[in-house]
Amino acid sequence: MSNVILFNLTTVLFGVASALYLGALYAKNEKISAVGTWVCALAAVVSTAALGVRWYESYQMGIGRIPVTNLYESLVFFAWSVNLFYLIVERKYRNRTFGAFVMPIAFFTMVFAVYNDSSIQPLVPALQSYWLHAHVITCFVGYAGFAVSAGAALMYLLKSKQEAAKINEGIVGLLPPCKTLDDLVYRAIIWGFPFLTAGIITGAAWANYAWGTYWSWDPKETWSLIVWLVYAAFLHARVTRGWYGTRAAILSITGFAATVFCYLGVNLVLSGLHSYGG
Amino acid sequence: METISEVRIEEAAPVAPAKRTPSPIDQVWDFFISVKLAIFTLIILAIASIFGTIVEQNQPPEKYHQIYEDWAFALMNRINLFDMYHSWWFLLLLVLFTVNLTCCTIDRFPKMLRVVRNPRTKLDGNLEKSLSLSDRWKRKGTLSDWAAKYSSTLSATFAKPKVTEEGGEVHLYAETGVASRFGVYVTHLSIIIIFIGAILGNVFGFKSYVNITDGEEVSHLDTRGGKEHINLPFSVRNNRFWLESYPNGQPRKYASDLSVMENGREVLRKTITVNDPLQHKGIWFYQSSYGQAGGTTALVSVRRPDGSPVGAWSLAPDEPIPIDGYGTVRGVNYDRNFQGGGPALQVVVEKPGKPAENFWLLQQSPDRDRQRKDTLLFSFGGLNTKMFTGLQVAKDPGVNVVWLGCALMIIGIAMAFFLSHQRVWVRLAQGQDGRVEVVLAGSASRNRLAFEKKFEKIQSGVKAVGQ
Repeated sequence: MSNVILFNLTTVLFGVASALYLGALYAKNEKISAVGTWVCALAAVVSTAALGVRWYESYQMGIGRIPVTNLYESLVFFAWSVNLFYLIVERKYRNRTFGAFVMPIAFFTMVFAVYNDSSIQPLVPALQSYWLHAHVITCFVGYAGFAVSAGAALMYLLKSKQEAAKINEGIVGLLPPCKTLDDLVYRAIIWGFPFLTAGIITGAAWANYAWGTYWSWDPKETWSLIVWLVYAAFLHARVTRGWYGTRAAILSITGFAATVFCYLGVNLVLSGLHSYGG
Repeated sequence: METISEVRIEEAAPVAPAKRTPSPIDQVWDFFISVKLAIFTLIILAIASIFGTIVEQNQPPEKYHQIYEDWAFALMNRINLFDMYHSWWFLLLLVLFTVNLTCCTIDRFPKMLRVVRNPRTKLDGNLEKSLSLSDRWKRKGTLSDWAAKYSSTLSATFAKPKVTEEGGEVHLYAETGVASRFGVYVTHLSIIIIFIGAILGNVFGFKSYVNITDGEEVSHLDTRGGKEHINLPFSVRNNRFWLESYPNGQPRKYASDLSVMENGREVLRKTITVNDPLQHKGIWFYQSSYGQAGGTTALVSVRRPDGSPVGAWSLAPDEPIPIDGYGTVRGVNYDRNFQGGGPALQVVVEKPGKPAENFWLLQQSPDRDRQRKDTLLFSFGGLNTKMFTGLQVAKDPGVNVVWLGCALMIIGIAMAFFLSHQRVWVRLAQGQDGRVEVVLAGSASRNRLAFEKKFEKIQSGVKAVGQ
C-alpha cells in the first residue's frame, strides 16, 4: 500500500519538524525553526498526496470512498488538519515558536495511527452517505482549531509566569508575548467553534436521514455537545465578562481535553453508534 | 391627604436612588439577564451530560442490578440517572437555559437596536479619547471643500459617510459590518427555534419500530414501548428483504423492496437501504435491521407429464404435503452440489398402499424426474429462506423547524465571528490660525489587529488627498 508508506514518511517528517522546533527553542536559533517550517510544508504536501493516493487506491480496490472512515484514517486526517492549521497560524503571526507546542500534537497523533490497522476496508452500509464527507471534515477542522488553541494556551501559562516575574530569558523567553498568545487562544477557538457547530448539525442531519432521529443522546453526540458547551462558556466569559489570560487558557485546555475524549475516549471507553470509528 | 403624601414620596425617591433596594421583581430579572448565569448553566449542563454517558441509559433494570449495589441502584433510580436526559431536573436545566437566553435577548436587543439606528455620528472630545486609533492634521483651505474631498475618499476606500454639520464643525461618519452586532441574537434565536422544533416533534410526532416478514403488509404500529398504538392511513408491504456482501464477507447493502398500499392499490414502490429511506404522507421508513422469519423451505413444482401444472409447494423439512389423488411428498435432504450437478433436494413420495419412493431433484435439470415415469413430475425450484425487515418508523412535523434553527445558527455564528462592526469618524473644524483642523478616528468591534492595518490604509489614503 503506497499510501501507508507516504503516511509513514509523514510521521517521520512531523517528528523531524517537532524536533527542529524544540531544538530551535533550546538553542535559541531562528534558523533551525525556519528549516522546521520547510519540513512542515513538505509534510503537508506528502500527507495530502497520501490522502489522495489512499482515496485512489480505494477505487482501484472497487470500494471507492473518501479516506476518513475509520480510526486510522481519522487520526491521519486530524494530523493533516493540525499541520495545515499550524502553517496558516505561523504565517499569520510570524512566530515559529508555536511549532514546538503544536507539531508534537500532530506527530504523536501519527505515531498513534501507525499502531492501528491501516488496511482499506469497505464501508459498512451505515457509512454509505454523502453526509459522511461534510460531517467528518467539519468536525476535524473544528478539532484542529481547538488543538492549536490548547497549544497556545499551554504556551501562555508558561510565559505568563515569567512575565509576571519580569524575567525574559531561557527557552520561555523566546515565546511570543502573552498578549499575542492570548489572542491566538481566542482566535483559534472562533475558527474551531463554527466548524464544530457545523459538524454537530451535519451529524444530526445525517442521523435523521439514516435513523429518523436527529438527536438520541448517544455518548458521541453527548460528548460533542459537552465540548460545544465548554467552548460556548469560554466565548461568553471572554466577550462579556473579560476572561482573558490564565482563566481563558485553562478553559481552552479543558475544552481540548473534552475534545480528545469526545474523539478517542468515547470510542475506546464507551459504546454507542460511532463504535465503527474505533 | 394620603394620596398626596404618596406622590411626594414617589417624587422624593430619585434624590437618593443608591439607597433604594431593588424590588424583588427587579432582583429576579437581574438574575435572569446575567451572563454569569449563562456561563454557570452552560458548565452545569456540560457536567450533567457527562453522567448520562458514563451510566448507560434506558437499559432494563436487571442489567443495572448486575452492575450496581442495591443502595446505589435505588439512589440512581431516585434521581432518574437511568433516563437522565428526560428527567425533570435535566429538563429544568434546559428551561433555565432558555429563560436566561430569552431574558438576555429581551434586555439587550432593544439597546443594541437603538445604538445601531442612532449611531454616534459626531466625533466629540469624549468619543475621541475613548478610541485608540486616531490621527490629526491641518490643511489650508475651506471647511466645506475638505469635507467634500474626504467624504468622497472615504466612500471610495471604506464606506459612504454620513455628513453632519453642527456648531461650525463638519462630522463624517462611515461604518461597515453592522450585521455583526446581530449575529449573537440570530444565534440565540436559533437555539430557541431548535427547541420549539424539538417540542413540536415530541408532541405531534412519533417514533416506532416494526418488523415485516417478506410478502406481508402492516398498517398498525406500536409506540412508546408498546403503550400506544398508531393506525397508519395506508399500509406498507415488504415485497422482499435481501442483503449483499463484499467479497471479503463484510455486509455491503441491506435493502427492502417496499410498497405503499392504499385501498388495496399500490401507490408507491421503493427499495430502501440504510441511508435511503421511504417517505409517504410525512411518515418515514428507515432500514434498520433484519432477521430470519421462520425456517428455510424448499420450493417444489408439480406438473403432469404433458407439461400442465398441478401446483407449487413450499416444503418445510420432513413435513409431508398431501397432493389430491396422488399421495404425499416431503423433503428430507438437501445438497448444495449433488454429484457435481448443483443444488438438489431429496424427496420421499408415499402413495396409499405402495412402498415409499425416495429420489433426488436437481434444481438445474427440471426434467430429470421424467426418468421415474410416474403420473406426476416433480421439480425443485431452490431453497427459500423467509426474511423479515426491521424498519424504524418516524413522523416528526418539527424537523424542518429544527433545520431552520440549525441554518440560522450557522448564519448567526458566522455573522458574530467573521464580521466586524468597523466605524470611522472624521471631524473638520476651522482652526484659529485659519487652517482646517482634521481629526480621523476609527474602531472595530472585533479583530482589532486586522482593523489596525485597514485603518492605516484609510489614514494614508485620506491624508494623501489634495496634497
